[in-house]
Formats: sequence, C-alpha cells, structure tokens
Amino acid sequence: MEATVAIENLRVEYRSRELGLATKVAVRGLSLAVGQGEVFGFLGPNGAGKTSTMNVLLGFVPPSAGSARIFGVDVREPIARQRIGYLPEQTYYYKFLTAEELLHFYAGIFQIPPAERGARVDQVLKLVELEHARKRQLKTYSKGMQQRAGLAQALINNPDLLILDEPTSGLDPIGRMKVREIIQRLKNEGKTVFFSSHELGEVETVCDRVAILHQGELKAEGRVADLVAQHAASLEQVFLKLVGYHPHP
Amino acid sequence: MNTVCSLAKVVVLEMVRRKDFYVLFILTVLLTGTAGSVNLFNDRSIVRYLKEICLLLIWLSSLVMAITCTARQIPMEREQRTIFPLLAKPVTRGQFLLGKFLGCWLAVGMALAVFYFFFGLVSASREQQWPVLNYVQAAWLHWVMLGVVVAFTLLGSIVFAAPSSNGTICFVVSVGILLLGRHLNKVALGLPQPWQSLLYGSYFVIPHLELFDVRDLIIHNWELIPWGMVGLATLYAAAYAAVFLLAAIWVFRRRPLN
Amino acid sequence: MSSHPLLVSALALAVALAAGGRLLVDQQAQRQETGSVLKLLLGESRRAFAMHVFLKADAYFHQGFYPSVFDSPAAAEAKTHLVEATEENHHHEHNHGHAHNQHRDWIEAFGCHFQPSEHRHLEGLGQAREILPWLRLAAELDPQRVETYTVTAYWLREQLNQVKEAEAFLREGLRANPDSYEILFELGRLYAENDRDVPRARIVLELAVEKWLRQEASKVSPDHVSYRQILGQLAALEERAGNLERALAHYFRVYQVSPNPATVQKRIEELRAKLAAPQKPPP
Ligand SMILES: Nc1ncnc2c1ncn2[C@@H]1O[C@H](COP(=O)(O)OP(=O)(O)OP(=O)(O)O)[C@@H](O)[C@H]1O
Ligand SMILES: [Mg+2]
Repeated sequence: MEATVAIENLRVEYRSRELGLATKVAVRGLSLAVGQGEVFGFLGPNGAGKTSTMNVLLGFVPPSAGSARIFGVDVREPIARQRIGYLPEQTYYYKFLTAEELLHFYAGIFQIPPAERGARVDQVLKLVELEHARKRQLKTYSKGMQQRAGLAQALINNPDLLILDEPTSGLDPIGRMKVREIIQRLKNEGKTVFFSSHELGEVETVCDRVAILHQGELKAEGRVADLVAQHAASLEQVFLKLVGYHPHP
Repeated sequence: MNTVCSLAKVVVLEMVRRKDFYVLFILTVLLTGTAGSVNLFNDRSIVRYLKEICLLLIWLSSLVMAITCTARQIPMEREQRTIFPLLAKPVTRGQFLLGKFLGCWLAVGMALAVFYFFFGLVSASREQQWPVLNYVQAAWLHWVMLGVVVAFTLLGSIVFAAPSSNGTICFVVSVGILLLGRHLNKVALGLPQPWQSLLYGSYFVIPHLELFDVRDLIIHNWELIPWGMVGLATLYAAAYAAVFLLAAIWVFRRRPLN
Repeated sequence: MSSHPLLVSALALAVALAAGGRLLVDQQAQRQETGSVLKLLLGESRRAFAMHVFLKADAYFHQGFYPSVFDSPAAAEAKTHLVEATEENHHHEHNHGHAHNQHRDWIEAFGCHFQPSEHRHLEGLGQAREILPWLRLAAELDPQRVETYTVTAYWLREQLNQVKEAEAFLREGLRANPDSYEILFELGRLYAENDRDVPRARIVLELAVEKWLRQEASKVSPDHVSYRQILGQLAALEERAGNLERALAHYFRVYQVSPNPATVQKRIEELRAKLAAPQKPPP
C-alpha cells in the first residue's frame, strides 16, 4: 500500500537574492514515510528544517532534489492538497473576516456544496469551541483563539491528512490538552496526522512514531518506545543527545 | 470558477471593510458640492464645469482605488502570510491571481456604480435630464479600462518587490497614458530616427486607456457611441487584461513563496 | 502600504479644494487681495494655469472638440475662437485643420468614436453660459490677464443678456488692471450699446483713449487695432448722440492709423455732408 506521505531523498535549498550570499540548504537527503492512520511527530531544534519540509509537502517551495508525494500524488499538483488540512506555524488569516466568514471562504475553495457548508462550519467551530465568537472579526481574537480558528480551518474539508506546524504553540495548558484530544480523536477516526513540535511530552503521549531532524538531516526515526529502549534514556535525553547537546556535568 | 469566486468575494469584503472608498467618496461629494455652491455670475444653471469636476474626481478616485487595492493584495498576502494556508488548499496560483483580479475589478466596479449614480444626481439637479444610456456607456468603458489597470498593477505587484513603488509606478503610467497616449504617434514624428521608431512602436504596444475616457462626450451631451464600438473597445481591453494576467500567472508560477 | 498615489491625489484634491474654497470666500467677503491663496499655492505657474483654463473655456465653446498642441502646434498660438467670436469678423471659415476623416492609424480611427470629433459650437439659448466658470477661474488665477475680462464681458452681455454681471466683472478687472484700455473699451461699449448711457460711455471711452496714448503711442508698433476700435466706438456714440463734429474729430484720428483709409474717408465725407445739410425739423 502507498504511504500517505512519502518523502525520498528530499533536498531543500533557499537561494538568496543577494549576490555573494551562499545558498542555504535547509533539508538534505531526507527520506520519510508516514503510513495511513498514523500520528507522526516531527521533531528538531529551531532551524532544523521542519517547516521547510512541510513547505515542500504543501507545494510552497519546490524541492531542489528528491521527491515528495502525498496519497501517491506529487506535491506539485494542486489536487494533492484536496484532502489535506494544514495549520501554519503562526496564525496567518484575513484579519478583517469573522471566523464564520473565513471558514465559509475556505469551504468554498474546497468546493464543498453550499448546502453542506453551514453544517460543516458549525461542526468545526464547535470542535474548537469558538461558537461564541463566530461573528467577530479575527483581529479581535486572542492568540489562543486565533490558533483554534486555524485548527478549525485545517479541519474544514474533513481532511484525511493533517499537517500541523507546532499546533500547540501559544496555547495555555488547557488549550494544549484540547489539541491533544483533537489529535487523538482524529486518529481514532483513522486520519493521518503529521505534526511538528518542540513539546516532547506531548509527542510522547500522542505519537505513534517520531522523526528527529537536526540541521536538515534525519537523525533518528521510529516508534517512541523503540527509541527510548534503544538508547536507554527518556525521549528528551535521546533528543538532546541526537542534536549534539551534552549537558554539563 | 467556484474557487476564483470565493477568492474574489474575500477581496470585495476587504474593500467594503476598509475605509478607502468611503473617504474618497465623501471627498468627491464634498468637493463637488463646494464647486457647485460657487456663485458664477448669479447663474444657477451652469452645469458642465460641475460635471467635469465631478467626473475628474471620479476618475482620480477610481484610479487610486483600483491601484492601491490591487497593489497591496499580493504583498499583503505574503507579508501576513495568509497565502500559506490558502495555497495549502487545492488552489492553483493561476486561480489565486484570477481571484484577486476579479475581486479588485468587481470591487472598483461597485464603487463606480455608486460614483456614477452620484454623478447622475449632480447633473440631473441642474439639467433636468437623465441620459441613462450615455452614463451606462461611460461607466462601462471606465470599468473596462480599470480592468486593464488592475491587471497590470497585479503584474507589477509580482514583478516589483515594494508595493508602494509599484503603486506609484502604475499610477504614473496610467495617468501618463491617459494624458499622452493619444499623442505619442504625433510626438514620434518630430523625433530623430532611432527614437521615432521606438516611440511609434510603443504607441502601438501600450494599452490605449485614453480611448475609454469619454468624459467629454457626457459633459457636453454628445450622442451615444455606437454600441458596436463599445463592444470592440471592450474586446480591446479584455485582450490587454488577458495578456497582463497571463504574464502575471507565468511570473508568479516561477516565484518561490518565501 | 502604498500611500504614494494617495498622496498625489490628495495633493491634487487639496489644490482643487483651495481653488474652490477661495472662490467661495471671495464671494462672501468682498475681495481684498486677489488670488493670494492661489498665488501661494501655485506660485508663478498660475499664469500658465490661467492660460490653460482659458483654453478650456474655448474647448467648452467647441463642446469638447478641441485639437491639442500635438495636433497642430500653430493652433496653440493662434487666437481662440472664443476671442475671434467677440470680434466683428467672426463669420469666416474656421480652420481647426483637423479633418477627422484623415486618421494616421487605426488607433486614431477607432479613438474618434470615443471623443468629440466634430466641429461644433455651443449653440442654442444660453448654452454659452457653460464657458463662464473657466473664464472666472482664469481671472482668479491670473488677475492681470486682461483678455479674460473682455471676452467674458462680451459673452455675458451679448449672448447671455447679463449686462449687470458683465459690468461688475469688468469693474473687477479694472481694479486689478487700472491702466487697461482694453477693459475700459469693453466697459465703454457696454455703457454705449447696452445701457445707452452716453455720458458715462463717453467718459470711459475717452479715458481709454487717454490710456492708450500714454501706453502705446510711443511704442515702435503700437496696438492700432484697439485704438481704432475705441475711436470707432466713440465716434459712433457721438454720431448717435448727434454730436457730429465730435464724431468727425474721432474719425479723423481713425483715418490716420487705418490700414484702408479709403473707407474711413468715405465715412468722413458722409458725415460732412450730413453736417452741411440743414437740420431736419422734428416731425
Ligand atoms: N525563506 C528562507 N530563506 C532562506 N533561508 C531560510 C528560509 N526559510 C528558512 N530558512 C532557513 O532554513 C533552515 C530551516 O528552517 P525551518 O523554518 O525549516 O526550521 P524549523 O525546523 O521549522 O525551525 P523552528 O522550530 O524554529 O520553526 C533555517 O536555517 C532557516 O534559516
Ligand atoms: Mg518551523
């Protein structure tokens, strides 16, 4: 069976506009496969290349080498994104729209029939608990509310694959727990979740498998339990070791 | 098409919620009102200068609106990064640009409708006549011309990095064509050779926006323009808008997003 | 944020607003310092603006049909129809040499459908009033531009029957240009032809002659046309009033500067004959 996400030998480079500056290699030789129904944690320190990899999966940045496929379709085809839900790293939405309008807009883009849009919007707003603020413009939202609005838009098309870039950043402990619950629920529904995070604790609780990236290279990949057993240490210690950080004695 | 319309709707909503249009409209009303209240030799039936001033303000406002609205679309999407969640959906970049174009064009069209209605009131207040068809022709040609302006501003916003410089360039170019486009051929004839051919060539290449400026005809109550000519002018504008849009899509496809 | 085009248009609007506002203020308070706001705003370029606005009036006279400087560079120098029409000989063929069936290329051919492309003048009752705002503005921009006042006054009294307004405007012009014999002539013409106020017309026209002599007589090529017009008006005035000797004296002065003295000579002889003939007894 075809993996939901298949990355092979991926290389991502940022060519700088200014002359004289070297091209920045953000990801080199990354190969990954995420199976259907899996919750996959994508770990790495700041600047490791997590967002860059996701940018390729979403077609924002063309791969310099290698390939990436989603549901067996090359990511450069727009149709590959029909069944994806994406939550960006930060909240990037039209601030002059209300949550309801934003969701209706995205529902329109997914060609959800108008008759079903209302029900769908109600459903996701309920899921992220924004019903009380649905008629307010996004610029009046708190950061946590905006993050939840983002999650709502990622779920609007009832996607089979969710790509979440640090979904819990900026949320309070209750918010984080709610996000974890949502991920858990999606997993129970048989969806695939591919998410990046710095929160090793939450990764440990919800992920089936993780990959640890450092300076664009894959350092480790596998089930959390296997990794922990293999290195005879906690996930945090494994992570620190792999990224080359040695705590002072 | 659905996707394009959804995108366009957001642009229109943005225009409706921003203050630009209201400011420009109120300014137009105020200035026209001021000009109208001037006492000219105790004659209250003088109207053409008022029509002229009102139309000039409408043209200026519409250009400012079309250009500023269009010029900021893509830079804003990039700056506020709204383009990312959007393009993470099954939207091609072509659809994205088409949506932006349609949205800006519809938005200025709505503004034009309000402006021309106001113009009709101004002229009816003194002339006691409503040459509706003439106004429809003028407004339509105006709108069609703005389609070309929106299209090349959109192209400019992809080619030039800074939105404000793009806005200024587009404004200067549009006003330049409106004022001089008609005369480039005659100017060319008076130039020495390499320049003559160059200027004459550009005369045939530029979009002749000034064709669509029929203000003099409605100020001075001329007859209707033959509808066939209006149709041809529409096709002419559509061809230019299409060329600019295709160029924009072609460039935008090749641009990395960040 | 692209504030540039907004800035540009805001500036343009500000100028328009100031100009409009100025006109308003002027009407409320009787004008003191003419056009000082505009002077401040536009500086010396307001002369050029005034010329432009004056041409605008001419374009209005042609219902928007007007060749640009690019079409015929000569047209810009030549007298505008607006002015020609005020002179006696305005029935000649117009030569706005812009035959609209001679298009240089298809863009011109196509474009002629979207702009006035036929030589028409403002006709019909009172339509000429539409040119007035521009003349008013031209005077506002450049109060020293004498032609603005004379042309405006002509249209006001001849075409629009607004003699009072014409007089007021000429007086305004005179305040700005106290030495202008052209304005005095126009004012005299108004008193003579419209008001039939002989004594007043005489004073004004004689003042005009005086001003002309003081300013022009010593010049290498004095403005004889105006001189003849003033004297002719004065002579006709005296003739109508029955002061044939005075009229004769004026005709003699015309005779000295006339380009075709024969016609003037004829007129003089007619008058002499009239003078010699016995006074008709009143019926
Ligand atoms: N547009 C860009 N131009 C040049 N270099 C870039 C660009 N975007 C990212 N990079 C570089 O690529 C590398 C990977 O960045 P990326 O955003 O993928 O990291 P990340 O793993 O998401 O980090 P974080 O945890 O901070 O979000 C970094 O060194 C970054 O400086
Ligand atoms: Mg990141």
